[in-house]
Amino acid sequence: MSLATKLLTGLLVLLLPLKVLGWDWQTRVTVVVKDQPLQVVCEILEKTYGIHFSYSRELVNLSRKVTITAYRQRLKNVLEEVFTPYDIRYTRVGDQLVLQTIVCSTRTISGYVQDAATGEKLPGATIYSPSLRQGTTTNQYGYFSFTSAKDTGAYLFSYVGYEPLLQHISGIGNRLVTINLPPAGSLQEVVISASDETKIQNQTQMSKIGLPLSMVQAMPKLLGEADVMRTLQALPGVSGSMDGAGGLHVRGGSPDQNLVLMDGSPVFNFSHFFGIYSLLNADLIKSTDLYKGAFPARFGGRLSSVVDVSLKDGDMKNYHGDAAIGMISAKINVEGPIKKDKTSFIISGRRSYPDLVYNAIFKSTPGSGSLYVYFYDVNAKVNHIFSPKDRIFFSFYKGEDNLRIKQSPTDSSSQSGMKVENSKFRIGWGNTIGAVRWNHIYGPKLFSNVTVNYSEYVFTSEIWLKSVTKRTGEITDQSGRYGSRMKDIGGKIDFDYRPTPRHGIRFGAALMGHHFRPGRSDYEDKNSPVKPLDTLNTSIDTRGLEMTVYAEDDWQVGRNFYANVGLHASGFVVDGRFYYSLQPRLGLRYMLPDNWALKGAYTHMNQYIHMLSNNGMPLPTDIWVPSTQRVAPMFSQQVAAGLAKTVKDMTYEFSLEGYFKSMSNMIEPTDPGLTNFELTKWDEQVTVGKGWSYGGEILLKKQKGKTTGWVGYTLAWSTRRFPGVNNGNIFPYKYDRRHDLEVILAHKLSKNWELSAAWHFATGTPLTLPVASYHSVNGASPWDPGGIDNGGIDRYGTRYNYRTQNVHRLDVGITYTKQKKWWRKSWNFSIYNVYNQSNPFFYYLKTDDEARQRYLSKVSIMPILPSITYSVKF
Amino acid sequence: MKRIFVYTLLLAGVFSSCEKRVNISLPYEGDRIVVNSLIQPDSVMYVRITRSVPVSVYDDSGFEEIPNAAVTLEENGTMLASLKQQRILGRTYFVSTEKAMRGRKYDIRVSVPGMTPVSGSDTLPCAPIIGNASAQRGGSRIQFMLTDPPGSTDYYRIRVFTYGPTHQPDTIRQFQLDPTFNNNIEDVLSSYNNTFLVMQDTRFNGKQVNFVLEAKDPLIDTDQVMIEVSALTYDSYRYFKTIASQQRTATGLITEPIRVFTNINAGYGIFAGINTKRLVFTLE
Repeated sequence: MSLATKLLTGLLVLLLPLKVLGWDWQTRVTVVVKDQPLQVVCEILEKTYGIHFSYSRELVNLSRKVTITAYRQRLKNVLEEVFTPYDIRYTRVGDQLVLQTIVCSTRTISGYVQDAATGEKLPGATIYSPSLRQGTTTNQYGYFSFTSAKDTGAYLFSYVGYEPLLQHISGIGNRLVTINLPPAGSLQEVVISASDETKIQNQTQMSKIGLPLSMVQAMPKLLGEADVMRTLQALPGVSGSMDGAGGLHVRGGSPDQNLVLMDGSPVFNFSHFFGIYSLLNADLIKSTDLYKGAFPARFGGRLSSVVDVSLKDGDMKNYHGDAAIGMISAKINVEGPIKKDKTSFIISGRRSYPDLVYNAIFKSTPGSGSLYVYFYDVNAKVNHIFSPKDRIFFSFYKGEDNLRIKQSPTDSSSQSGMKVENSKFRIGWGNTIGAVRWNHIYGPKLFSNVTVNYSEYVFTSEIWLKSVTKRTGEITDQSGRYGSRMKDIGGKIDFDYRPTPRHGIRFGAALMGHHFRPGRSDYEDKNSPVKPLDTLNTSIDTRGLEMTVYAEDDWQVGRNFYANVGLHASGFVVDGRFYYSLQPRLGLRYMLPDNWALKGAYTHMNQYIHMLSNNGMPLPTDIWVPSTQRVAPMFSQQVAAGLAKTVKDMTYEFSLEGYFKSMSNMIEPTDPGLTNFELTKWDEQVTVGKGWSYGGEILLKKQKGKTTGWVGYTLAWSTRRFPGVNNGNIFPYKYDRRHDLEVILAHKLSKNWELSAAWHFATGTPLTLPVASYHSVNGASPWDPGGIDNGGIDRYGTRYNYRTQNVHRLDVGITYTKQKKWWRKSWNFSIYNVYNQSNPFFYYLKTDDEARQRYLSKVSIMPILPSITYSVKF
Repeated sequence: MKRIFVYTLLLAGVFSSCEKRVNISLPYEGDRIVVNSLIQPDSVMYVRITRSVPVSVYDDSGFEEIPNAAVTLEENGTMLASLKQQRILGRTYFVSTEKAMRGRKYDIRVSVPGMTPVSGSDTLPCAPIIGNASAQRGGSRIQFMLTDPPGSTDYYRIRVFTYGPTHQPDTIRQFQLDPTFNNNIEDVLSSYNNTFLVMQDTRFNGKQVNFVLEAKDPLIDTDQVMIEVSALTYDSYRYFKTIASQQRTATGLITEPIRVFTNINAGYGIFAGINTKRLVFTLE
């Protein structure tokens, strides 16, 4: 037989059955039955489409009643919908479908838990089988998978702020379901709290706090803005920088050791206004989880904390939005369905506006120039459901802080005699973040999330100056720019596999490309005859590739013993070098009598990038650089142990934790003044050292009732040691605070009124004071011009030989809310620093020439600050 | 660049800040001997001995001198003749009889009854090679030529003086490197001027460079300018460099305070070599 004949015969053999049989899995069928036995469905398919069924009546029970409405659906999908819940397998043999019963003692219920009103997925919701006394929770995408005994029929779904739902799930086989939880009736609007409904003693995970967003919004506002970062600072184990400034110092770590993720994308600089505000509008946030230790294997790349922020996906059912105006900024959010129950969007914008007011008032004067100081951020997200198993998210964020000054032409009569013809100055910084995520359910037990993301941070300063010196006619036409750009482009895939209730397995991989271009500078004076000293490139242009694989298992080892065992392996390629690290993660939980949980954890974390900052206060100018041959990647080891318990139906939650953390390969500038810092040789100008921190934290939360809030107390020590600094001796971390106490309360006074208060106390931070003064010298001979004296010099001895005063502050806020027919309005009146406590911002040694005295002077910048915010929701 | 943020922060703080005196007893390390002497080749050595004071002491009179200090100087290990105390311009100096010489190493020892004796040592640097200074009347640019020797790492300090009505270089001027010359936008952004500039020759090692300075204020009301360039040893470089850093970061807001370098064992101050040359010229 020739080859052509063989091919033709083969083709006929393949095509003939299709032609003769007339149906395949993709055939579109219409079946509409209500409460009819399965037998009826089979008969319809047989009669209408010629699909024959073969089965044993003794083994396959087709008397179970089903309801199905399928118009022109694929045959495969219809069969799956009617047979899978009853554990009936269907196999094609020739032109027949053979039905068999799957012999299985368990069934898996999987799917999503969502807000019934908006379709917003609920992360951390609980699924519980009362008969089996077993349960699980939804992951950060609202997905769950729960395998239980086959005859389990009823499941309890619950989430804070929602009515619990006892749902009977029909059938005896696996089911993919979407559970709609109705918001609690007493609340006019539910703020997804993201605090796990799971009792804390039932979570092996420790050192994690789910930040209740309802508390973020209820907390007293600073200049009219609710803020996530400020709320995070009010948690035990977390402290801020100086009074009024931002920065998260988690368990003695520095701000560069925090991994902030916005919908899975890393963020370089999470603040506006020098850290006073977070870069995100709090109304957009669905959940925020702070991990201070016991890091699950899926996280890596930073030493001290992970702040995992999930943004709202957008209402799938109705259009609505909100708008607010405070003392500093105005904002608007709009969300709704593009196609109901299929595609949704959410879009928001925020801008500070005092500069607009300023310019409106002063720009009326001709020639007064302009001054713009503002921040803005915009967020957009689209969420589309392709099928019950597939959904995709597109998200975009852009935020900036800007200072722009334009000076009008002047004809100065000053000594310089300089006439400015044109002068502009701009300084700005901000993040641009984009991400695409795809959630896919492979089967009842396997879920995946694929993310492709882009994150960029840019700092730019620019100046243009054109002037004429009248006396000489010298023209200056200067323009210059200094900037830094850091960006990450990456992709990752995460799997969530829940084979049995005793195992919750997550595994995945990620690839992240880093591109660092800090310190770019160019300068030009068009009319200058001066020849530059050199044209040295002072910037860095480095690319690095970070790769990660991980696996973790949340495992019930015994009746009372649980473990979370994981391994995070990562590698980093930069400048031809390869660094790698294996980071074991272990969490243990043992259930003690009376529902107390004893927990322990060990984590190893690695960080391949360093931030060049020497003060612990994040600044927009901070520069990220990759590890070099001289400065190896940072790594930390942390052990933690604690007790946890909830009482009174989760009304109260208590946790007590102790920890010890060591940090290696941290950097500190050898010249703290950075007066001669050469960026291209940065690693030669830092010293590499170690740090240790240890302490204990207590958190008592009240989660239900008219009064909610928490009391958190931290006792902590954090130290550092760097060769060449402080004579090589150990010294405390700049933001080492021994005691920290936070009391946060929100009380519902009535249907319309809510009161909140936050009191914060912390002991002082270390400060270096001089230990002597002495005379200096200027020249070799007293007869030299300028004399020989150069005034006094202050002698600094041991680093941090003094502690600043303790700080404390009370903030209060009251919110009035009124529900109208179509919209809701609210007024919030807050007072920051009610009793006007003068907390130190910084200290300096003041020389008072009039009084002929020298003394330590304290500067405070945050006095009592009342604010008012008006908002509407529609 | 960080400094811009300090100023902005401070500016923002001005609107709402309050400042209070903190009444604490500032720490004091105890009285120590302070030795101050910069050694110029071919010149006698002037040594001033004072004692340190608590930080809270306001002293604009040059600090308390120690007249009964025992000061000894050695040149290449050989003790020099006793230093004589002289009162010059209201200050007391211990002045050597011999002149310092290039290529020699000098050691100093100072003891005072009841205080820990101190010591220090250094060598002398080569003279800087400078010339061709010029500036324009009413302008702010000042130029001069500096020839840096190849090979070694050299350190310099630059100062600018203008002549007053008494025809003396009695006014020290604030300046910075010309931004175009320095090719650094930060000079424009920060506009930080000082009365002296300290540098090493990393960017011009072994080259002849036409240095361009930019005076903070235009050169008016004067006819003559004096450029002073001092070659420094590593010790005197670190001393002046850290003084500049301490002055520049005085608030301690974003950096840790800077400790000024000292090479006086068990005491404070500096005993280091310097080699100063000056160019005096008339404005064009």
